[in-house]
Parts: sequence; structure tokens; C-alpha cells
Amino acid sequence: MKWYIVKRVLWTFVVMWIALTLTFGLLVASPDTGQTKSVMSCSASGGDAQQCREQYRERQNLDKPITERYVNYVTNMATLNWGWSESRSQSVMAAISEAWPYTAQYAIPVLVVSTILGYGLGLYSAYKPYTKADYLGSFVGFFGISIPNFWFALVLIILLGTHFEFISTYYQSGIPINQGWASMANITQLLIPSFVLLTASLAWQMRYSRAQAIEQMNQEFVKVAKAKGASQWRLMIHHVFRMAAVPLTTSFVSSLLAIFWSGSVIIEQIFSIPGLGLMTFTAITEQDTTLVLATTMITVFLAIIGNLIEDVSYTILDPRIDYGDR
Amino acid sequence: MSEPLLSVSDLETQFHTDAGTVFAVDGVSFDVDHGETVAIVGESGSGKTVTSESITSILDTPPGEIVGGTITFDGMDLTTLSETALQDVRGKRISHIFQNPQNGLNPVYTVGRQIGEAIRIHDHGDPEVPVQRQVVDLLDKTGIPEASARVDDYPHEFSGGMKQRVLIAMALACDPDLLIADEPTTALDVTIQGQILRLLEDLQAEHDMGIIFVTHDLGVVSEIADRVVVMYAGKVMETGTVEDIFRNPSHPYTRALMDCLPGRGGSMDRIEGSLPDVTDPPAGCRFSPRCEHATEACRSGDQPPLWGVDNGDTHEASCVYYDAEHDEGELAGGEGATGGHQ
Repeated sequence: MKWYIVKRVLWTFVVMWIALTLTFGLLVASPDTGQTKSVMSCSASGGDAQQCREQYRERQNLDKPITERYVNYVTNMATLNWGWSESRSQSVMAAISEAWPYTAQYAIPVLVVSTILGYGLGLYSAYKPYTKADYLGSFVGFFGISIPNFWFALVLIILLGTHFEFISTYYQSGIPINQGWASMANITQLLIPSFVLLTASLAWQMRYSRAQAIEQMNQEFVKVAKAKGASQWRLMIHHVFRMAAVPLTTSFVSSLLAIFWSGSVIIEQIFSIPGLGLMTFTAITEQDTTLVLATTMITVFLAIIGNLIEDVSYTILDPRIDYGDR
Repeated sequence: MSEPLLSVSDLETQFHTDAGTVFAVDGVSFDVDHGETVAIVGESGSGKTVTSESITSILDTPPGEIVGGTITFDGMDLTTLSETALQDVRGKRISHIFQNPQNGLNPVYTVGRQIGEAIRIHDHGDPEVPVQRQVVDLLDKTGIPEASARVDDYPHEFSGGMKQRVLIAMALACDPDLLIADEPTTALDVTIQGQILRLLEDLQAEHDMGIIFVTHDLGVVSEIADRVVVMYAGKVMETGTVEDIFRNPSHPYTRALMDCLPGRGGSMDRIEGSLPDVTDPPAGCRFSPRCEHATEACRSGDQPPLWGVDNGDTHEASCVYYDAEHDEGELAGGEGATGGHQ
């Protein structure tokens, strides 16, 4: 097992390297919009266009041979020196370290709550299938899956923010700085965005865990355990959920990615939360290539690390999975 | 005669499905004594498994529901017990083993832990002896070689026959009074079948257990059973000692089953037709549509009561030909239809 994990971690580095190489290739192949812009603003302020271009190319190391640029690029990425963001006039790393706490402050609680609540409700639905509780759960589930996040968020803003004036219609990014991240004011203004994000990811985890649990409940070993005298609680937790946990680790990783990649971009745009999602969105609209690449790389790394966690937890959770000779 | 260990009386179990109510078990009665093996025989869909799973209510409810009858065990009516009271009976007083050992064990726990679970749930055995020790003894008793080395293995590391031994060890963990074995040898190959049957007989002698043995295999019945209950479409067709049933099969259905057995002299036959629709059972005797001896009296009313055969008090058949007042002649065919054995 130890060797399997070591090998798996090493393999993760190989995958990251491949991802880096691919993005470098795309970067070289794509037209450099930063250059055009920089040259335009430089010559507009009275500089010589040719000189401006050379200055830019020198600043961006574009005058070096491609092999050297490749080595530099990989080294820089590995040493967390992710380049300069033209649109924000700060280093990419500085932009990320400014933005991530705004995303993490709601994304992590949403992930934890949706996982616990989603699996709990899914299991309960499976335990009492085709009852009122199950139908209510299914209704909430399908509601969460069917209602688009952006629409639901807007409705809540119009209703609670504009009409009843219970909440602020946008996120005030000064509050966590002035009053602290854990201040009541900051938590209150995060409630609605978190709720919107929660409905979608909770619904999905609930439906998936219900399906998995029902599948396991029909297994013969559950009947054997029942015939042994096991209580309902013991059957559901010890036998059904324990078996369902194996495929459910997959949904954990995908919901992690869904929250970071699609959920946060929409939520942060609507509520003006200056986190990674909004940063990604503006980087794309401003055509800030280095920043777009950085946000892409974050997603790629999250996916790779999520898969690593998934594979390792598989081997821990299911003794039938053979990791001896891989 | 003293109180039997288990007494099932007029049991009715139904399944509520979209296609209608399935009368899976429709008025079944039988007794089991200490140290006795009662075989419930019938083809697939005859209700024998539902009968066995109704006893400790381990069948899925819903869609299943025990709608009538009593199941008396040690002075308790199991049909009226609460779920928690039933949990105390299951695994401790009445155990089950099932048909398919391949799926009977949870793949993510070691076999030792799963056998130990039964002991821990019921706080069984000497508290001084570690559970692990008790588990190894059980595995040893059920014939698992090198039990102490195998106790920490996972189910996928065992063969089918070995898994059935593990499941038997699990069922016997709390010294039950009654073991319900639902086709325990059907999924195993013939040599392993013999070994498992011997094992069950030895364990029964050691613990004075009652056994309900559900099977469709008459060969196995003749080897292991003391008494036999023949079921068809949720009804008991015939019941008697193993000698009664094999020497003097009396109900036309039992005879037809016997004729399907290879190696009993005459030619091997099959029963024409198929099981009736149990959502809408035929009037009269359930077997009448397939019975070559059926008369008008067989096709109306309800299933005939169990009439005594040969005035014996052990042997009964649910067939109008055994009604003392029946006057449409004798049941033809079969060896010694009315003569019986000596």
C-alpha cells in the first residue's frame, strides 16, 4: 500500500508536468493580446512602436529561444512564480493570494455541509423509499438540480435584497478586512451566495448517494446482516453506507471541481465577491492570458490532487482493489 | 407431545406490487421440533423462500406484508413482535443461511469481523473469552482449515464452499435454537453440497437445533429431512414424514415431482404447463389446471383441506381424493396410491 501511494504521488507529478507542457504549447501557439495592448498604450504615450514591442518582448522573455523559454516556464511554474498580470498590474501569485480567501470562506463550508447533508439525506431517502420524506427529498433534489444558479441567485437578490431589504444586494469586500473574516457581518452577507451554491451541489450529492445506497440495500449481505440481528441504524451505516462510500468518493471530487470552477464563477460575478471565480471571469473578459492560464492551472491541479485522494481512498475503503503490483 | 419449537399456523404473506397483490404464502401451517429437520419443497415461485423469510420478518416490508396467521416460537407470536424484539430473536434464537454464499458477506470487512458482529450484537458467549478466540473456534468447527490464519482474510479470498462455511459459522455464532437454511447448497457443486449437508447434520446433533431446510432438490430432501412440507403456489399440497412422502407420494403434484427425479425406475417426466399467476390464483386446487386427475370438484371453491392419508396422523394431502366423502373413485396411477408402504 505504501508503495502504491508513493507511485501514485510520483505519477501525479508526471501528469502535472504534461499539463504544464500542454499549456505552454497553447501559449506559444496563441496570439499574444498583451503584446498588442502594451505596445498600443506605450506608443500612445509617445514611445516608438518597434522599441515598445522589443521592450515588451524582453520583459516577457519572448526574445529567448523556445527551449530556454520552456525550461524557464516550467521552473517558474514549479517555483510558484506564475508571471505578471497585465490587467491587474500585479503578479499572478499576488492576485491569487488576494483572491483565494474570498472563495475559500464560502466554498469550503459549502463543500463540507453539502457532503454531510447530501449523504445524510440521500441515505435517509434510501432507508425510507417512496415515503413522504423521500418524495420531499426528491423534490428538493430535482429543484436544486433544475433551477439554474444564476437565476436562483438573482431571484433571491430581488426578493430579499431589493424587495424586503433583508440583505445587501452585493458583497462588501471591505467587511472581512475591517471586521474580520469570522465576523457576524461577513457571515451574514455570505449566507445567500452559500445557500445558492449549496442547493445545486447538495441536490446532486443527495440523488447520487440515494441511488448508491438503494443499490447496496438490495445486496444479499444486507439481508444476512439483518438476519444476524443488526439494528436498522447498524445496517444503514455499517453495511450500506460503508459500501456506498466507495463510489461516493468520486462524487466528492467532482463536486469540489463544480463548486470551484462553475459555481464560484457565477456566484462571485452575481454577488461581486472578489474571489477566484470573479478573477477568472475578469481575466477572460480582459484577455489577460497569464491570469487565465493560472486559473486554469489551479483547476487542473485541483482535479489531479482530487483524483489522487480518490484513488488512495479507494484502496483504503475497498480491500478488493488490488494495488500490490501496479 | 410437548409444545413444538416453532409452530407456523395459517401464515399469509402478500406482496403489494403495481401488478396487484401477490398471494405468495396463502395459509401455510407446519411445526418444527428441537433436533428435527423439516424440508420445505417446491419449485421456484412456490412461496417456500417467502415462508422462511416471514418467520423472522426479514423479507422487505414494503412491498411484503404478513397479513395473517401466527408464528409461535418459545411462547411468543413472532408476527406481533416489535422490530427491536425481533432483532433480539434474529441471529440469537433463529438464524438464517441463504442460497448464494458469493454475495452473502460484506466485501469490505474481514470474515472474522463479520462473524464477531453477530456475537457482539447479542453479547453472546463467555465475556472472559475474546471475541476473536470465539470466532476462530467457530471457523474451526465449520471445517475451515487453519482458521486462526484465515480469520483476518476478506471474503473475496475464500471459495464459494468456504464462504458458505463462514456463513454457517456466522449463523451458529450464538447457538440458535432454530436454523433456517434457504437452499444452502444450490449454488455449490455436488461434492461441496455433500460436505455442507454432513456439516449441518453434525452441528444439528451437537446443538439439538431445529432446521428448516428450503429446497427444490428432492435428492437433498431424502438425505437430510425428517419431515417434508410440499408447497405449490403459496399453498401446502402435502405434508408427512420423509418415508411417507418418498414411499407413498399422495398428492398428484408430489407424484409429478417424483416423476421428474432421474434414476427412479421409469422414465423421467416433466410437469406440463407452468405455475399459475399468483396475483390471480385459480379457484379450487392451485394445481388443478396442471393435474391430469382433476375433476369439476377440484376446480371450484378453495384449496381442499389437508386430508389424512391412510388414517396416518403424520401424512396429509390437500387433495379431494383423500376426502372420506369423495365418491368419484380412487386416484389412479402412482405406485401404491392408496395402499401405502408397509
